[in-house]
Amino acid sequence: MPLDRRAGRFARCIQCTRHDRSLPVRSFSTTAPARLEVLDSQTPAEAAPPPPAATADTPNPNTKPRARDANTVSTPAAEGQLLRNQRTTPVGSRRRRAAIASTGSIPFSQLPYQCFQEARAFLQVDRQEKLEHIRMQRQRIENLKLRAVPPQDEWIKENRIRDMKHRLEETKIAADMNDPVVKRRFEDGEGDLNKPIYRLLADRQWRAYRRKVLVQRITTMNVIPDVLPAIEPIVSTTLTFAGKRVQHGDFVDSRVSELAPSMTIQPYDKGPRLYTIAVVNPDVPDVEKDGFGYRCHFLASNIEITPTSTKVLLHKLQSETQVVLPWLPAYGQMGAPYQRMSVFILEQPKTEDGAGFQRLDAAKTRAEEPRYSRREGFNLLSFVDRFALKPVGVDLFRTKWDEGTAGVMQRAGIQGWDVEFKRKRVEPLPYKRLATVRYR
Amino acid sequence: MIKAPSTSLLRAFSPLWRAESVPWVARGCIAQQVHFSTAEQRMARKKGMGPKTDMRITLIRYHLQHPLTPRPLRFSRTRALRHWTIHRAWRLYQNKLRLTRQLELERQYNSMNAACEALRLMDGDGLTQEERSKLGAEIEGSNDMGRLYRIAMKKDDGVRADAVGKGVPIEYARIQTETPPRDGWNSAWTR
Repeated sequence: MPLDRRAGRFARCIQCTRHDRSLPVRSFSTTAPARLEVLDSQTPAEAAPPPPAATADTPNPNTKPRARDANTVSTPAAEGQLLRNQRTTPVGSRRRRAAIASTGSIPFSQLPYQCFQEARAFLQVDRQEKLEHIRMQRQRIENLKLRAVPPQDEWIKENRIRDMKHRLEETKIAADMNDPVVKRRFEDGEGDLNKPIYRLLADRQWRAYRRKVLVQRITTMNVIPDVLPAIEPIVSTTLTFAGKRVQHGDFVDSRVSELAPSMTIQPYDKGPRLYTIAVVNPDVPDVEKDGFGYRCHFLASNIEITPTSTKVLLHKLQSETQVVLPWLPAYGQMGAPYQRMSVFILEQPKTEDGAGFQRLDAAKTRAEEPRYSRREGFNLLSFVDRFALKPVGVDLFRTKWDEGTAGVMQRAGIQGWDVEFKRKRVEPLPYKRLATVRYR
Repeated sequence: MIKAPSTSLLRAFSPLWRAESVPWVARGCIAQQVHFSTAEQRMARKKGMGPKTDMRITLIRYHLQHPLTPRPLRFSRTRALRHWTIHRAWRLYQNKLRLTRQLELERQYNSMNAACEALRLMDGDGLTQEERSKLGAEIEGSNDMGRLYRIAMKKDDGVRADAVGKGVPIEYARIQTETPPRDGWNSAWTR
């Protein structure tokens, strides 16, 4: 018999059939559905009317169990039916489901809580003020741009415009910052990253944890300062090999990294821009030097990224205009230590008028710049200085010798798949026994 | 003879021993004793028997013994969002009040500052040097330039709004007027 669990201690009274139930039982909810449920439970003696016999002409409509909604079941029996018949679990707490069942659907911003509505009204007034400020600031920036200043004061005017624009951006964000709808939309991942408030919230979220992990991994693995002396990550990156995400610094099987990965590069400032991606291995063993050198495994430029279009498939890039060095699989030869494969995202400089971004001529680089079209001995710092790039993002994965490395190296035509590195034996110093009382 | 161990700690912490120091109004709560075991004392206890506990005393005791850290609340999603909205609105309102007060104080200070500056540049006739030269009046006669300013800056003498040091409360002051003059009535004056 369905028992309304909300009834709690009084459930026994409703259940009890010893007493005459001439007085109607008052349920806790005053709306119809809950009351009906209580009334149903009140008369257990009455058997449910038997379902009409099914004939050939009229199929029995009552044999199909009633479809329950996962958002509105509130009694244990209904929940059981939902679980058994529809194989779905109820959503949210029982209290919430009962509330949803007994009221119509109210949008969140109109929920009838007095303090909440008053807070909302206050925030709306404040938002209107901020919108007015935004309009005024925009007008002032326009006026200032039109004002003629003597050439020696041009720098003052430029600084002022820059600061006013900065203040305008801050006001735009402040206008939306107190909105619970914006907050919920962002938390659900539905925020439009073309809008500054969502970009700021996403940036804040990245910096709170994932960026810290990235910087820690980069520093502990010594990617900085081995490849570049310093970097301040501004864009967040994710690396995916064969559909599987790779964490920063993970070991990747050589067969998995045989094919070029795909990346998601998420910038947090507005507008499109052109990026260059360089994959550099700083752990190439050099026997003569008894040390390590660099090798470039991938180099591509002129990749357009916006805050909303962030996906880059490295194997789909244009080989004439974008790719300078195509993907070389990561490999670590036997006996050599694990190889760090660092992925650097470099922002291309702006054009002279400041409107767009300069393009790097990939074909020209391949033809005329031998230093940057060779894989071995590729110096990323030199490359960054030559083309005035700005390092904005970094990622890292590692590779070492495993069962598939030999096959990968053979298929890629790399020499040395059968080479094993061994450590040079260091002759120990001759043992000289000192003949004093202390060294007995 | 074995010396019995000191019962000072026991006396301090055991509720059984504290009965002597309980004032007569609170004797009712002695009956609510803490048992040695933390298991519920349900077995072999008759319902309704035992001392009748007063709920008010229970609640007062619980609130007095409350630990410093409050119990963490658990909110549903919409409840949490409503709480956040109200919190943001309240902080915004408080900040607006604070800024208004701050600006008002700033305005008052600036006004006082401007007034003192005007006094500093004023001589006995109420003219600054600039005004004097503009009107063509003689400049040499203005030997008490800024006299009222210096009087206003004195902290240990004369009337003050806050009456610190040897100052006299401003309520005792004479309102500065044009007439009657400082020198008073000269009875010996002749033409």
